Amino acid sequence: MRAYLEPGAAVGAVAVAMAVGVYVVAVIDGTAGRLAGGTGRSDLGAVLLDPLRTVAVLATQRRRRTERPDAPGWALAPGLLGGLAATGLAVVPVGPGAAVADPSTGFVVFATAIAFVMIAVFLHGWSPNSLFPLIGAYRYGAQALSLQIPFLLAMLATALPAESLAVMDIVQAQEDLWNVVRQPLGLPIYLMVGIGVSFWGPLNLPDGADLVGGTSAEDAGTDRLAWELARAAMLFAIASMGAAAFLGGWWGPLLPGPAWMALKTLFLLVVMVGSRHLVARVRIEPFVVACWAVFIPLALVNIFVSGALLL
Amino acid sequence: MNRSLVVDVLFWCFAAGSVVTGYLVFRTDSMVRAAFWLLASFVGVGAILVLLAAEFLGVVLILMMAGEMLIMAVVMVMFMMNPAGLNPMFMVHQHRFAVAAGVVSFAGLSVVALTADFPDQPVDASVDATAELGFELLGDSMLVFQTAGVALLATMIGAIALASRNGRFGTSDEGSREPALEIEELESP
Repeated sequence: MRAYLEPGAAVGAVAVAMAVGVYVVAVIDGTAGRLAGGTGRSDLGAVLLDPLRTVAVLATQRRRRTERPDAPGWALAPGLLGGLAATGLAVVPVGPGAAVADPSTGFVVFATAIAFVMIAVFLHGWSPNSLFPLIGAYRYGAQALSLQIPFLLAMLATALPAESLAVMDIVQAQEDLWNVVRQPLGLPIYLMVGIGVSFWGPLNLPDGADLVGGTSAEDAGTDRLAWELARAAMLFAIASMGAAAFLGGWWGPLLPGPAWMALKTLFLLVVMVGSRHLVARVRIEPFVVACWAVFIPLALVNIFVSGALLL
Repeated sequence: MNRSLVVDVLFWCFAAGSVVTGYLVFRTDSMVRAAFWLLASFVGVGAILVLLAAEFLGVVLILMMAGEMLIMAVVMVMFMMNPAGLNPMFMVHQHRFAVAAGVVSFAGLSVVALTADFPDQPVDASVDATAELGFELLGDSMLVFQTAGVALLATMIGAIALASRNGRFGTSDEGSREPALEIEELESP
């Protein structure tokens, strides 16, 4: 049997981690926006308070109703997305033997959470019974289905040196050599997929401005607040798993393990969140072609090389 | 509460959930809802597999179903004259045949469930079922596993070739459209 936290402590730990992660995402996003735009107030206080201000505005804004929506689906979608982010976070270890849950199939549990994001986003776009959200939902279907195989292959390569599907073992196996060195193709593919799965920045195709907000075009008030929180939490879960699976997790000199884990997660968050302000949005058609024609072969090369090095 | 009681309660919750959502697949009036109810039903089955200590199989079942149900919903909506899938529509067909098939398969499965001699030795908690499954697949069952793997790979390549961007009327990323009717021919005397 592998380690699990008690249910109450597990829920508390994941909730605190998600709250901190979402706030950090918002602060990085605000800072990157100010740096990239070169305009607006740039004092620290504004950067730190802006996320709370946004929450206050959205929490008091009036919600919107459409004609004959699928109300349960619409309400369920943000909850599902947030729950998936929590599931993903729960299997990420922060130190040796320290994880909310460490199932022997931790890697598969994380992949399942990522796969279910498709359902959450599709439901979110389909339920309002409105045109732009529906187009966004189909876009995400195309985008996410194309991303699944490169994602699984890139992640699977990290399980090879560990000879285990448990995330704890995957981090443990990086004591001498981090996977980012051992598998140089892995991290870029993982980050690209991570941005795509959490539909952020250049790959924000389902909720993009060209669809007047896509799946969240009909969201206002608490609906939008819940969706944005869940989206940021997803980004945080993906960054923390990237830190564990590719950047050696808790391994590092001087500082204690959890501190290294936090620093590495922060670094990946800066890269992923910053992409929104530095990289132009791509079109869905070339992106889907690139996934099938470029990223799957690259991920296969990555896995073949990783396997050959082990033999 | 002791552990086995928790497991029993969870089993009945997931089992009842799977049956109810499976029933709702046929009672709903929208293709997308039907696909998602079916997904919920399969998630319950996957959870029961996890309770049976077949952790890997259970989680992989849930993982696979997410993608499959979304593909099913998209394809069903694509081939129907109801692009949104939200408009009410009748989800059941061939009533008499469906009732007969349902009764026959229920009876058959019940007979199997009641008469078959299922193994009932509880697995030792220290056994890593995932690793055991890996040794089983890559040891004695290697030939079967390899054959299935190659067949699946061929299917995937075939599916990608069929769905590739070069359609009958141009590439998909330029919006593949049927050409207009050739008017000149019709107008010529």
